[in-house]
Amino acid sequence: MSGSRPMVQIWRWPLLLAALICFGLLAALLGGGGLWWWLSWLALGIPVATIAAGLWGRGTTKA
Amino acid sequence: MTRSGFQKWIWLHKWSSLICTAFLLVICLTGLPLIFQDELGDFFDDALPYAAVPAGTPAVSIDTAVDASRARFPGEAVLFVFVDDDEPKIVVTMAPSWQAWAANKKSSHWIRFDAHTGQVLKASKPFNRDGIGFLEFMLRLHRDLFADLPGELFLGAMGLLFVIAIVSGAVVYGPFMRRLDFATVRSDRARRTRWLDLHNLLGVVILAWMLVVGLTGVINELSTPLFGLWQRTDVKAMLAPLQGAPVPSIAELSSPQAAFDTAKAAAPEMVATSIIFPGSPFGSPYHYLIWTKGHDTLTSRLFSPVLVNARDGTLSARVTVPWYLRALEVSRPLHFGDYGGLPLKIIWALLDLVTIVVLGSGLYLWLSRRASPFRRRQEPTVGRGGIVTAPAE
Repeated sequence: MSGSRPMVQIWRWPLLLAALICFGLLAALLGGGGLWWWLSWLALGIPVATIAAGLWGRGTTKA
Repeated sequence: MTRSGFQKWIWLHKWSSLICTAFLLVICLTGLPLIFQDELGDFFDDALPYAAVPAGTPAVSIDTAVDASRARFPGEAVLFVFVDDDEPKIVVTMAPSWQAWAANKKSSHWIRFDAHTGQVLKASKPFNRDGIGFLEFMLRLHRDLFADLPGELFLGAMGLLFVIAIVSGAVVYGPFMRRLDFATVRSDRARRTRWLDLHNLLGVVILAWMLVVGLTGVINELSTPLFGLWQRTDVKAMLAPLQGAPVPSIAELSSPQAAFDTAKAAAPEMVATSIIFPGSPFGSPYHYLIWTKGHDTLTSRLFSPVLVNARDGTLSARVTVPWYLRALEVSRPLHFGDYGGLPLKIIWALLDLVTIVVLGSGLYLWLSRRASPFRRRQEPTVGRGGIVTAPAE
């Protein structure tokens, strides 16, 4: 928690998640269904899972 | 980033969000059931079921459905006929006249036929006399707050503010996180600090999705002016040579089924889905306009019109659609999330719920900052040297 982080480090995860979202949105639209749909669900599911982990895994609701 | 630069971005984030948040909350809440409108529409539908027919039963002629509709409502104009490509139905939409429809779109009503038997499955009443359905109610709130074009433009402007709020939020995210690891939620700190961390976490994780759905929502709200632009430029130029020619009367109209077949023959790689009768404000007074679409996930959202002479039934033109209507068409699936099966819709709904939390927590952060004069004095600690610390409590 101490020291200030470089921008690259701050944005590493957000940019990776943004890239996954863009891939997921386009995979279902441009891919021919089938496997591409599964890849799309997987790619878009990861941000949702990240949030779920952030909410429950780290115990935000603790006082 | 300099401290004053940071303060400017904070200011932009605060005001762009504050102005649009209430409307965005309405949009997110009403958008939730709309994600599942196909599923819910089937559930609420009280029409007669399709007749069970042997496989390969041919569809009845569009002419049969149009003639039956005219017999049921003599003197009314047929506006357009929709032929579904995945359900055996033909839907004929009518109004007292094209002029009456242009003056008030609610004057139209439709009759749904079973495409195999020609039997009427359901007929709607004009002017919402059946009562407005749940999904229609949600759609109107979502799209225009029951205020038609002014409402569409207003909500489009709110969507633009939402996009500005996302971008400015991303700019201030960096300085906020200088001393924190990604996804840190300081659960041991005061409630406001926890919500600030949560707001940052949720907002940044779904940043790209909110941007895409926000921007495509803005483009969708421009659909009326974009079609109007096309009508006033390309369509007008195309029809200019015919200007002043007498408009065909209903008795003079050639067979709509034949026009449909002509269009299909002219565009064999496409699926014809609807036929707009002559006189439409978004069509031609002299032609049937047949909308055709492609077969793939994306191309099935890209529509191209074919014009067929409404008097003699001959092919007039395959029309090229301008780039701005293509952009509108591509932005539809990316806004609706209806192009990757039910799992994609469920993901869309979850991301919509997360957006609601981002909006709500942003509002809470502003309200709780204003709540106490003490905390207002604490505000300058935010952004000192570009490094942000939440007010101590």
